[in-house]
Amino acid sequence: MRTEIVLLIIGMAVVTYIPRALPAVLLEKIKLSGRPEKFLRLIPYTAMSALIFPGILTSGGDTMLPGIAGGLAALLIALFKPSVPLVVAGAVAAAMLTSIFF
Amino acid sequence: MTMDRAQYKAGVLDAIPVGLGFLPIAFAYAAAASDASFSAIETTLMSLFVFGGASQMMAVGMLAGGAAPFMIVLATLIMNLRHFIMSTCVFNRMEPAAAPAKLLMAHGVTDESFALFTTEKGQSRSVSYFLGLFSLTYFAWVSGAALGALVLDVLPPLLADSLGISLYAVFIAILAPEAKKSVRLMLLVIGTACLNFLLRQFMDPSWALIAATLGGAAVGVFTVDLPELAAPV
Repeated sequence: MRTEIVLLIIGMAVVTYIPRALPAVLLEKIKLSGRPEKFLRLIPYTAMSALIFPGILTSGGDTMLPGIAGGLAALLIALFKPSVPLVVAGAVAAAMLTSIFF
Repeated sequence: MTMDRAQYKAGVLDAIPVGLGFLPIAFAYAAAASDASFSAIETTLMSLFVFGGASQMMAVGMLAGGAAPFMIVLATLIMNLRHFIMSTCVFNRMEPAAAPAKLLMAHGVTDESFALFTTEKGQSRSVSYFLGLFSLTYFAWVSGAALGALVLDVLPPLLADSLGISLYAVFIAILAPEAKKSVRLMLLVIGTACLNFLLRQFMDPSWALIAATLGGAAVGVFTVDLPELAAPV
């Protein structure tokens, strides 16, 4: 192993661990209410939304079509049959079929 | 920490779609690491200690492009600041636990474990449940990198590209049924996605993600009613 790579891994490990661990030590479980509580409860939804778009467009390699087809398939299945494994399978199948035919 | 086997098992099972989604990314990362002349051990060690797909892809890409390690570490820090927000939500939801247990769980906070844990509908706020999510996703990520480094081109390109959609599908599967229940939440979710897209035109994608997440939630405080959403804090 090269020293430079080991140092890089250590540096990256430190800066990825600190943001993850700080809330665990700093926050004694605080009782939130009102607006701060609502804010914290909304974050999972807004974070997922920002993680999905526009990243999904480039998920299928060079073209956007597989990502769009997979996303639409996932959306349709999720609206009518909310099961994570089923939604994932449908999205992968749609993306793959789109890559094959277009 | 007392281990609750049923909770642990539930966590492992719930994380399977995410673990499957991690595999093609781990293979792609291993291929990129190989291009940056990483050995199989170096490739695997980075996955063990960093456990961050986007950062690792960026790191080996920057290294192959001749970037200085210090710049890579700095870029990694910026990219992972979002985990501070996610970790705050995770530990606020988690049942009280000893500090060492929480410090161990912290390494398992990813976009995906955060999404699953904080939107879980049942009573699964235990350390055991989170450890289940952590174990399965970590195992998939590290073993995927090792496998990819040892056996290059594990998956045919068509399958690898198509599996790239799976993590997005996990997020959609969690988000869509909630948005269906409330028009205002649906508008907020769509608005946040558009905001993220707009912000990316002006700033680094890592900052755009943080700004859109916080901005969207701030707007939501005044516009969305959430009586029945999961994840009471």
